[in-house]
Amino acid sequence: MNISIVPALKVLRPAAMLVIVVLVGLVLGYWANATFVPGYSPEQPIAFSHKIHAGDNEIPCLYCHTQARRSPSAGVPAVSKCVGCHLEVATEKPQIRLLMSYWENREPIPWIKVHDLPDFVHFTHKRHVLANIECQTCHGPVETMDRITVSSRAVNGSAQVGKPWKMGLCLNCHRENEVVNGTDCWTCHK
Amino acid sequence: MPNIDRREFLKLVGAGGVSVGAGFMLREANKDPREYLIPHVLAPEDSSSGLSTWYNSVCSMCPAGCGISVRTYEGRAKKIEGNPSHPVSQGRLCSLGQAGLQALYNPDRLTAPMRRTGAGDSASFEEITWEQGLKQVGDRLDLLRAARRGNRVAFLTEGVRGHLAQLFESFMRQLGSPRLLHYDFDHPHTLYAANQQFFGENHLPYYDLQNTRLLLSFGADYLNNWISPVHHSLGFGESRHGRPDIRGRFVQIEPRMSMSGAAADEWIAAKPGTEGILALGLAHHIVAEGNYSGADRGAWVTALADYTPAAVAEQTGVPPTTITRLADSFVDTAPSLAIGGGAAGNHSNGVDTLVAVNVLNYLVGNIGQEGGLVFNPAPAGPALQQHRATYSTMLELAEAARQGEIDVLIINGTNPVFTLPPTAEFAQALAQIPLVVSLSSFLDETAALADVILPSHTYLESWGDDFPEPGVGFSVGAVSQPVVSPLYNTRGTGDIILDLARRMGSAEVMPWNSMEEFLKYGWRRIYQRGDPETLAQGFDAFWTSVLKAGAWGETSSGNTAFTLNPDVIAGIGVAPPEFSGSEEDYPFILHPYLSPNLHDGRGANLPWMQELPDPMTSVVYGSWVEINPETAEQMGLTEGDLVDIQSPHGQLQVPVYIYPAIMPNVVAMPIGQGHREYGRYAKDRGVNPIEILSPQIEPITGNLATSATRVSVTATGKRVKLVKTGGTSRDLGRDIVQTTGGLGVEVTSAADNSIPITEVTT
Repeated sequence: MNISIVPALKVLRPAAMLVIVVLVGLVLGYWANATFVPGYSPEQPIAFSHKIHAGDNEIPCLYCHTQARRSPSAGVPAVSKCVGCHLEVATEKPQIRLLMSYWENREPIPWIKVHDLPDFVHFTHKRHVLANIECQTCHGPVETMDRITVSSRAVNGSAQVGKPWKMGLCLNCHRENEVVNGTDCWTCHK
Repeated sequence: MPNIDRREFLKLVGAGGVSVGAGFMLREANKDPREYLIPHVLAPEDSSSGLSTWYNSVCSMCPAGCGISVRTYEGRAKKIEGNPSHPVSQGRLCSLGQAGLQALYNPDRLTAPMRRTGAGDSASFEEITWEQGLKQVGDRLDLLRAARRGNRVAFLTEGVRGHLAQLFESFMRQLGSPRLLHYDFDHPHTLYAANQQFFGENHLPYYDLQNTRLLLSFGADYLNNWISPVHHSLGFGESRHGRPDIRGRFVQIEPRMSMSGAAADEWIAAKPGTEGILALGLAHHIVAEGNYSGADRGAWVTALADYTPAAVAEQTGVPPTTITRLADSFVDTAPSLAIGGGAAGNHSNGVDTLVAVNVLNYLVGNIGQEGGLVFNPAPAGPALQQHRATYSTMLELAEAARQGEIDVLIINGTNPVFTLPPTAEFAQALAQIPLVVSLSSFLDETAALADVILPSHTYLESWGDDFPEPGVGFSVGAVSQPVVSPLYNTRGTGDIILDLARRMGSAEVMPWNSMEEFLKYGWRRIYQRGDPETLAQGFDAFWTSVLKAGAWGETSSGNTAFTLNPDVIAGIGVAPPEFSGSEEDYPFILHPYLSPNLHDGRGANLPWMQELPDPMTSVVYGSWVEINPETAEQMGLTEGDLVDIQSPHGQLQVPVYIYPAIMPNVVAMPIGQGHREYGRYAKDRGVNPIEILSPQIEPITGNLATSATRVSVTATGKRVKLVKTGGTSRDLGRDIVQTTGGLGVEVTSAADNSIPITEVTT
């Protein structure tokens, strides 16, 4: 007796086609989002430009992000810090007026977080800053950005703007620099 | 695909398009949610993002006065630890102190001033403004003061020390009222009285557990709640393990094994209330054996003549061999130390008992010695012992209220409606007072009866200071500073009092605008005691350094030479304890003890303390009565059986816990549960044994003899399941409880090391 699966396939073919098309479509859509949608670059409450501050005027990163060298978190400057200069500088620009309205109302500016690590990663700025790792190594060429875009570590001198961080980036750097216990799970996942 | 028709094709294209879109959205939806970075408007000086800021302050969860370091993060208190540079706590802290955070963040805190509306059962509280509340109270005080009737104002506070105590005193002096009462349920009145009688000092000496080699504790649960438990625990550890080749030996004498009893090398159960007789039995043996050779030896021989080992054994139930052995090792092991307190001091003969304990220290020369009992210098800050209220003082206050002699009663911190037995009728007395003002942070049983509530900050939000009592042999003080900004619309106790003082026209005498200002004024005097170097830096530098360090100290010491007043010797003697209720009707002696977790009930609104297992029984969230296994067997009781505990003055229903380390004719109950108010965690949970205590007093101090009540135990036939974390307390041949002789332990015969519960005749 001959048993063949061909008749069965014939019956199922339209359904099988549909499943295949749907699966390929899902993957394609996901891939398209990952490849063509630019890195996370939200519009901030004030159009603050790192290019003007850190690029054109060469203000050191640590001038505003003072906590980076002594704290796990780099910190965002208090509104008073912005106002410290802008009482005098560029007072007529609309964005500075916006800043002053926050200041006069004694309200904090709700900046949107761009660079984020999951809560299960223990990262401290202090160690990295004290080891003289440049901020741009992880944050990309911030001094060229009008609006902050998520970016990952520079590879061969070129930053991967638009690519979020992955664990491999940490590990590669820790390996290259022969960090003591740098590839130990417990170093970052405490 | 030759045989796909148009229809089929369109279907596939449609499905493909939808799924591409779905894939796109799938990734979009999996992206992290938006987070914000909210900066400060003005950067605070002492807070930085990502870093904790620690503040040193003083714990107020019990009267020990431990120094604490509080970790704050972005302006919120996160963790309380002991302050390593404070000589009392030395970096350690007990569970109640750790749970102080839950007082701060308690969901049942009073968040704004309130006024009672309506009367009787329909009474409720409405929120008012501070101005309304302060005006209502301030106007009444002003009227009374102007009419020279300020003595109709009474001020009832928990035991406070330092400048807050002084502020209360000045306030009441302005009113011309002597009715300033510091009332704590667990204040060791009998210990103060015994020390006054024997040493002529009305403050406590320093008990140097750390350097002692043998500690005899007559009822003092020094590891849990006797005077300064954190410091004593440190001393206990040091004595056991801190010295090479010397291991401190600890003997605990009490009818029910406390945690200190469990940690001791030997636990001896003397009949309740006979601890002092046992101490004099030891003293008799010391003198009789010629181990005391002072000039007054003759007087001692006469005074102690009746306390022969045989007579004492008869009264206490402790065998004569144990008495002589203890007395001999107390002499041979120098330095040694005898302490007394807890239940032993809460009998009708409490003061005499604790004097008898002092006799032991005197006879073997422990007084003023390292490893013994060291006198403290007078506290550097205000010391106002004279306002300490006993049970009898509280009865007088209640009587005065009933007679209509009191128009205004201000209550701060203390909760007498819970901690006084109902026979005192304190709640009824409160109803007779036209204006009862509570400064409590919580709606406890007393605050619930107030007319106006002006809620105080918790200690983590307010200014204060403390001069621990007992000190540690030298002068210590510490400033309690706020570690967070106030969470709610509350005010500091000191600030409220200063405001009321202004309103009654005392601003000239009490000109300070805030407690902080008053503290600085007071600490200027302490600063002026400093050496030239400190003085050269100026007061502000001194103040900053005291706040930073969280402690201030001075290497002064107390009186070292001690001469006993010869009249004291003739008065030595301990009468048998008196109990309320006949032995036939009430066959058991009730041994109420302060819960190690909830203290006198103040910890009951802290969920951490509720869920922390009791160290001896491992029971959580509830009350129980401890009964000896033999007694339970005779009565047919097992764990969880609900029994009626009946005293001549009341009845409670509570589940049984079978406890092997209690005398057969004693039943023990923890104090702390049984609240009717005091927030969601405390309310309607367990029972309060204070409710059935007989109004038996200790005649010298007038304090309540809390251990002098007899009870009967009757099974109800009902059962509940006791919630506890422990399984069986027995080894059951599993070999899991192993004992070992430590370094330098004196090896004695097996009979000597055994716990003498079986020798006790009852």
